[in-house]
Amino acid sequence: MKIGLEIHVQLPTKSKMFCSCPTTDAPAPNTHVCPTCLGMPGSRPVLNREVLVCGIKLAKMLGCTIADEIWFSRKTYFYPDMSKSVQITQYDHPIGTGGVVYLNGKPIRITRIHLEEDPGKTKRTGDMHALVDYNRSGIPLAEIVTEPDLSTPAEARAFLAQLIQDIKHTLDLENGERSIRCDCNISVGKERCEIKNVTGLKNVETALTYEMVRQIKVLKAGGKIERATMNFDESRGVTYGARKKEFEADYGYIDEPDLGIFHIKALADSITIKEAPAKMITRMADQYGIDQKMAKQLVSTSTDLAQFFETVSKQYGTENAIKWVAGPVTAHWKALESRNGGTDEVLAVIGKFASGEINDTECGIEIKCAMTGESAENAQESSAGLETLINEYLDANPKVIEDYGKGNVKAANSVIGYVKKNTGSQYSSSEVVETAKKLIESRL
Amino acid sequence: MSDADTLSKLSRINDKYQMFNDFCRDGELGDAKFLFSVKDNLTSAEYETCAGSRILEGYRPVFDATCIAKLKAEGGKLIGKANMDEFGFGTFSTNSGFGIPRNPFDLSRSCGGSSGGSACAAAVIDDHISLGVSTGGSICCPASFCGTYGIVPSYGRVSRYGLIDYGNSLDKIGILAMDPKQMTKYLPVIAGKDKEDPTSCVQPELKITHKKMKSVAVPREAVEGIAKDVLDAFNKALEDLRSMGIDVEYVDMPELKYAMPAYYILATSEASTNLARYVGMRYGQQEGDLTLGFDDYFTSFRTQYFGDEAKRRILLGTYTRMEGFRDRYYAKALQVRMVVIDAYKKVFADHDAVLTPTMPFVSPKFDDISRMTPVESYKADFLTVPPNLAGTPHLNCPCGYNADGMPIGMQFVTDHWNEDQLLTMAEEWDKQFEIRKAEVSL
Repeated sequence: MKIGLEIHVQLPTKSKMFCSCPTTDAPAPNTHVCPTCLGMPGSRPVLNREVLVCGIKLAKMLGCTIADEIWFSRKTYFYPDMSKSVQITQYDHPIGTGGVVYLNGKPIRITRIHLEEDPGKTKRTGDMHALVDYNRSGIPLAEIVTEPDLSTPAEARAFLAQLIQDIKHTLDLENGERSIRCDCNISVGKERCEIKNVTGLKNVETALTYEMVRQIKVLKAGGKIERATMNFDESRGVTYGARKKEFEADYGYIDEPDLGIFHIKALADSITIKEAPAKMITRMADQYGIDQKMAKQLVSTSTDLAQFFETVSKQYGTENAIKWVAGPVTAHWKALESRNGGTDEVLAVIGKFASGEINDTECGIEIKCAMTGESAENAQESSAGLETLINEYLDANPKVIEDYGKGNVKAANSVIGYVKKNTGSQYSSSEVVETAKKLIESRL
Repeated sequence: MSDADTLSKLSRINDKYQMFNDFCRDGELGDAKFLFSVKDNLTSAEYETCAGSRILEGYRPVFDATCIAKLKAEGGKLIGKANMDEFGFGTFSTNSGFGIPRNPFDLSRSCGGSSGGSACAAAVIDDHISLGVSTGGSICCPASFCGTYGIVPSYGRVSRYGLIDYGNSLDKIGILAMDPKQMTKYLPVIAGKDKEDPTSCVQPELKITHKKMKSVAVPREAVEGIAKDVLDAFNKALEDLRSMGIDVEYVDMPELKYAMPAYYILATSEASTNLARYVGMRYGQQEGDLTLGFDDYFTSFRTQYFGDEAKRRILLGTYTRMEGFRDRYYAKALQVRMVVIDAYKKVFADHDAVLTPTMPFVSPKFDDISRMTPVESYKADFLTVPPNLAGTPHLNCPCGYNADGMPIGMQFVTDHWNEDQLLTMAEEWDKQFEIRKAEVSL
């Protein structure tokens, strides 16, 4: 089975792609509009340079080759929410081509990434009525096209989840949700079908699974898959054939004469991007000889934590980084973040341990103090209290130790419920598990 | 003359020549330093703007085109929106949805097109300038037929913000006037970089240094198939130029013949995408059958309100950019444009300008026009199309009159951004040429 995706990502610019209308949420329909995004006669597009910057960052993130010069094209089609009946997009010379992204070590090839404008939105209000809102008209989009390298609907979903994570990181999107829409191509046999405009991770998996089953059924019954464009009905979770007209469209691309050619080599050379999380995981596993899972745990907790791991490794050896950063520092990371604290003090504590100034237990307590802001007495006390509680539990449930010894690491998680019951939310789950593992291992 | 007198005279002139769609009927001219009119494909907040098309009937834009705003800032008063072929599609202004402007020298003849109303206004209103727009000859042709001067600057010299597009890579805003000094005065006003039109932002400054032409080249290909009365006047003009001390030399420019097909492919390809936005749901004419689905509504609306020539060019332009034909037509035409530009550059290495007659014949009678096939009327543009395709500045100078008293024009073409020598040429020519003003009897 082959699956390829075409992913549309809204880019986080302040103003629209070709006019100065804001991209923020509008107070009412058709309020963030002007002659240009309404396509009024005589108006013309002026490119927002910030769109190029975002496009270049994403192209770099995907490992694409960035074109030295790019231009835009006109894609002509008639639909009420496309104000000019022409979409300004890229056809001949996209901003990036030929990239690759690794999903758990498997290469997924990226065909191209190009820039285009979003149309408005049509809202059906009855059988005979629809309303159009042009607030979205002209919002910048990047379209990312993959090769058909994905093998299952679940893998497509995982790829998309990772991609979203990477995009957010690369474009500094904290919680600013930008809509992501997907066209999904899938072929079980020879011919492929395209499911248009699927929104959301779960829907992508559902739509692809439904379409996969449909194609298998057709083939089993001795039928032939015809190349087709499908729509996805979110409420029923099914795909259905689009009207014939829609997939026979010829968009009649020509160059967009109002914008000209953009020489972007100097701009592209001047832009450096932060390492994408997915890349960072692969690299760290490789570089430090840690398993993929630990690298993922570090990076997905926070890329700052992962960087701290690297700092510790560089200064005090990878062994100490694994022992302390992947352990207690990870456990208390959220606490440190919520206090907006820095890592200097923690680094100093690990330094003391490395030089033999403090022992294991002291180091653990001092790290906790540095990260949570607790006093040393409290920390010592609560830490002792936690150990007492866990020891009580282990004494009563020797099977947990036995299971853990057999390799079922998750057995340690059963302690969480017991501790929570007795102490409420005094200890974080990760701290409990971390301590429990330490105590179980000492008994094995 | 009082404001009321001026306006009532304007109204009577318009009744006779039909050069305006919408114009200043009452009100005050105030302390306007000068009056001007513009082709109706330039958007104006104070007048209806239809670009000669029924599909835009009733459309009142929300903004002034940059060139209009600049003339107003200079103290000008916009008095009318000049009639034109629908969206600029034509050579005789007979393809307008709102009547046909009449030639001031003979009411049974055409003003030329597509800026026919602008040429007529420049010819019949005293001390007037009118802005026209040229895509393939739409300024020089009517200037030639109505006996006025007309300048088309380099592509990108005048901001196209507020111009209702025909072919965006070809459209150029220029000036028609009886007095070339007016063109020299107002072209620098409307020229210049405008951040609303990125293609205007690459130009060097327009400096008027009154640099005179020393030599002009006449392509042999350009004097073939020209009507005798036009050729006689043109040859006489060559003598006059020589006597002004200008070298006139014949050259070969075989590439010129490829300009016409390339032009019609590019212009219609772009036009067919520009016209896609007119579907009767956001502005202009809205009277359609709302019980239809959007596809059928768009189709029936466009069928009803576009004129025949607009439909013809949409079909041509859609064909030339279709998958499978795009490379053969559209992509090829882009290459031909470069060949034509190179041909001009080669001549400009040794000559200041390329000179040809402007049109192959004097303005035809409406009866004769109605008998012409579309291809015959396209061919009438074979001398005005090449500089338009190349984006080079060009100028129509009236250079004679035939036995019927109909004006004849010649066309100078200079290198990109060299409007200075064209404007200077026009002024020098005007010193020795006896221009005839049409008799405007009311």
